Amino acid sequence: MQVVREHRDDLVFRLKLLSRLVTGLLVLIAVGFWFVQLVQGDHYRELAENNRLRKLPILAPRGLIYDRKGRLLVENIPSYNLMVDRSRSQNLPGALAFAAGVLGRPLPELQALVEGYAAIPDFKPVLLAENLSLSQVSRIGVAGLEFPEFEVEVQHLRLYRHREQTAHLLGYLGEATEKEIAASDGLYEPGDLVGKKGIEQTYDRILRGKDGERAVVVDSRGRLLDDYGRREAVPGRNLKLTIDLDLQQEAARWLTGPEKVGSIVAMDPRNGEVLALVSSPSFNPNLFARRLQKKDWEALIEDPNHPLQNRAIQNTYSPGSTFKIVMATAGLTEGLVNEHTSTSCGGGASFYGRYFRCWRKGGHGTLNARGALKNSCDVYFYSLGQRMGIERIAQFSRLLGLGSLTGIDIEGEKRGLVPDPEWALKVRGMKWYPGETISVSIGQGPVLMTPLQMAEMTAIVANGGYKVIPHLIKDAEMPEPERVALDENAIRIVHEGLWAVVNEPGGTAYNSARVPGAEMAGKTGTVQVIGQSSRLDAKALPFKFRDHAWFTSFAPAQNPEIVISVFAEHGGSGSRSAAPIAQALHAKYFKVDLQHPADR
Amino acid sequence: MQSTSRSISSILPIAEEKPHFRLLSSVDLGLTLSALLLSAIGLLTVHSASAEMPVDYLPRQALWVGLGFVLLLIVVSIDYHVLLDLSLVLYVLGLASLVLVLFAGVERGGAANWLQIGPFQFQPSEFAKLATCLLVARYLAGLNRRVLDLPQIFMAVAIVALPMVLVAIEPDMGGAAMFAPLIAGMLLVAGIRPRLLLTAAILVVVLGAGVWTFGMKGYQRQRVLTFLQPETDPLGAGYQVRQSKIAVGSGKLVGKGYLQGTQSQLHYLPARHTDFILAVLAEEWGFLGVLGVLGLYALYITSAARIAIRARDRAGILLVTGLLSVQCFHILYNSAMVVGYVPITGIPIPFLSYGGSFTMVNFLSTGIMLGVDLRRYVNR
Repeated sequence: MQVVREHRDDLVFRLKLLSRLVTGLLVLIAVGFWFVQLVQGDHYRELAENNRLRKLPILAPRGLIYDRKGRLLVENIPSYNLMVDRSRSQNLPGALAFAAGVLGRPLPELQALVEGYAAIPDFKPVLLAENLSLSQVSRIGVAGLEFPEFEVEVQHLRLYRHREQTAHLLGYLGEATEKEIAASDGLYEPGDLVGKKGIEQTYDRILRGKDGERAVVVDSRGRLLDDYGRREAVPGRNLKLTIDLDLQQEAARWLTGPEKVGSIVAMDPRNGEVLALVSSPSFNPNLFARRLQKKDWEALIEDPNHPLQNRAIQNTYSPGSTFKIVMATAGLTEGLVNEHTSTSCGGGASFYGRYFRCWRKGGHGTLNARGALKNSCDVYFYSLGQRMGIERIAQFSRLLGLGSLTGIDIEGEKRGLVPDPEWALKVRGMKWYPGETISVSIGQGPVLMTPLQMAEMTAIVANGGYKVIPHLIKDAEMPEPERVALDENAIRIVHEGLWAVVNEPGGTAYNSARVPGAEMAGKTGTVQVIGQSSRLDAKALPFKFRDHAWFTSFAPAQNPEIVISVFAEHGGSGSRSAAPIAQALHAKYFKVDLQHPADR
Repeated sequence: MQSTSRSISSILPIAEEKPHFRLLSSVDLGLTLSALLLSAIGLLTVHSASAEMPVDYLPRQALWVGLGFVLLLIVVSIDYHVLLDLSLVLYVLGLASLVLVLFAGVERGGAANWLQIGPFQFQPSEFAKLATCLLVARYLAGLNRRVLDLPQIFMAVAIVALPMVLVAIEPDMGGAAMFAPLIAGMLLVAGIRPRLLLTAAILVVVLGAGVWTFGMKGYQRQRVLTFLQPETDPLGAGYQVRQSKIAVGSGKLVGKGYLQGTQSQLHYLPARHTDFILAVLAEEWGFLGVLGVLGLYALYITSAARIAIRARDRAGILLVTGLLSVQCFHILYNSAMVVGYVPITGIPIPFLSYGGSFTMVNFLSTGIMLGVDLRRYVNR
């Protein structure tokens, strides 16, 4: 076999040369390390320990939030925290004693606090006290030479000017959770404050801006020597809400106090702008701005009325007689009844072998749709419900926004429930009984809705059949509202009936809701919490057994520009407890002076 | 010119003899041990570097090292002549993936040089580098000359230039730069006339000026300028150089101790789990630690060089030379960068730096070298 001789000796020779060159370079680099680490080592060690080039964040101011008239709802205020860098300390016990004097706190408490930080490396500043006064800050600043371990850190806190009155609406800030960080695409870092709940949460990305950074040269005592470079922060953008502060505050005042549990929603039926959104009981969001005290948190969590819950969107309730608005609209649109069709009420009627009573023992006599709404006659709607059937009741409920999210721009909204036979089988595991249809006809069955859905339903009826989306940002670009297939004539008759509720003698809210000059229309609703047999005066019952009260309304009846829905949990009857609140709010909105304010 | 499409074994009859395969006893201990020790040190340092980060990169890097080792075992078992026979196919695949990344690349840190395949992202440039090395080795080995002619040099340069340009327009200058030591090392070993070498040097200077003017992005130029005048960019690269030097210098002789590096733990060091991992090590383990690591690299380099020298044929020598050149460049450049001797570029250091594609390619390269070594015996 012929063997080709390969030229390889030259290759090997050159490779050896190259390999020596590389080894030489490696040695040179080792010499470089020797120079930096051993010859200049002390210099760099000192730089690393004391005279560091520090990168300090330039915090972007968070955007402010205003109401629709430009009144400030949230602002940022500086707050000073006292930090300790233990690695710089020469006399830590002395420093702590000094701090105890300045802060007016017992020394052992501070010592215990610092001991608690034992697991954190010395060179990391740890928190000693929050919210220092300016005089405390200056006293600590003056002592800086003697106690180099102290640093005062400036933090911007959110101050919610109207505290409980806007708490559920605006939300609050808290440290980003791991889940939020993971979902943020790198926007959030551990320790960042992010919006929790309400506007602060939904619009966090707009409000937060972008932090800047500056590098500074500091001396061995941590004092700033020189600016080294900076990148400015991009401030967060301000937001203007649709909320009317006057109305919001007035609504909140009506729901403040013991046994005042409930929710109020006011919105513009023409475009879905929310004018007021209140839930009670409420909480002070400024508590969350600082580290929340354990006792404050426990008080919030253990309160049986759950103040953190936003009742306007998170709690669902039976609509009671306000559901008759849905029934009347549906019956008239479907042609099951017309303007003149009348039903006779003798105080009750039998359906499917069971006797259903009207709320009025003596009965209402003969009534048409308008009269049935005005007097809230149960028998009229029992009979209408029987003819309509549960399927069509469910269909119209959904058309009017029940059973689905309204789409408001704060999180946590509940869907409520529109019952039908399919639901009964699937969820309840029991077939639908015809008798239940009769109960649902007056809003007492399993049907459930949030106060916001109540306002939405009222708005759709008020504006003539447009499904506006409730929202909180002024001048937001909203999609064209969906048209709901409702009969114009039906809407006119319902409007008349609801107007009569408030403005005609005998209407269920004639005595409690009329606002002279405001042409308000509305509907009362009372939701039984316990059986009807033991009806007593509301005030005589224990709070938790009292009926829930609804009142939903719009005005002016001819050309509605505001919808107000009031829900008072265990408030008693709709006409006596919820209607006066709506009355006062309409009066406030239309600037009408009520000469005889209702009994608060 | 010899055809590159004919297989090496058909050119060289000696290769037809069955190579004697002596496992384990023939595995080069120096290369294997240095690679494994460096990987272990890398894992520890990656953990320390990411101690104050939201994610601990240790488990992921451990996964890469494990996968890399499996790849090493696979590639060791393949005769490198088979790889050389496949080199053209691999090269074309490499080019295709580089073209693909131009259109479907995932951006990470300024350059869209990642390909997403299912849940995995990888850098095609790393694998293209290996394929290019194989093809050039095959081409140059087949020439079988003492010194190369100009057309032959051009041919070799062209093979390298194609993927290099594709990587450069991603734009990933650091990745493109990696092709330079590859071709330089192989050509130097394959043989270039001194006169030509001088001409090439001049050409490089001229080309460099051209790249500076037309080929570089603002931030890249800034980095070079910053290297020359660190004060021009105090928050960017200048800050990095300074912090890196403080980290290294403050480590002094014995270091501050594992997990105790203030520069690293206090977030002063940028990219500390990747490009500046050596600074973390230098801060925590001191000059002694650095000496240990540089010693291991020296062991790795000399072992690889020994493998090349005793390789069975020209193809083996050139292949190992190409792979080693790239590794050397990474080691030298990164370590020089950490002490501030060269401008900051995204060039990680083999086995220590965190990175999936990078770690796998390091093990693949080492595997190919060991494979060449295992097949060094020719029974005549």
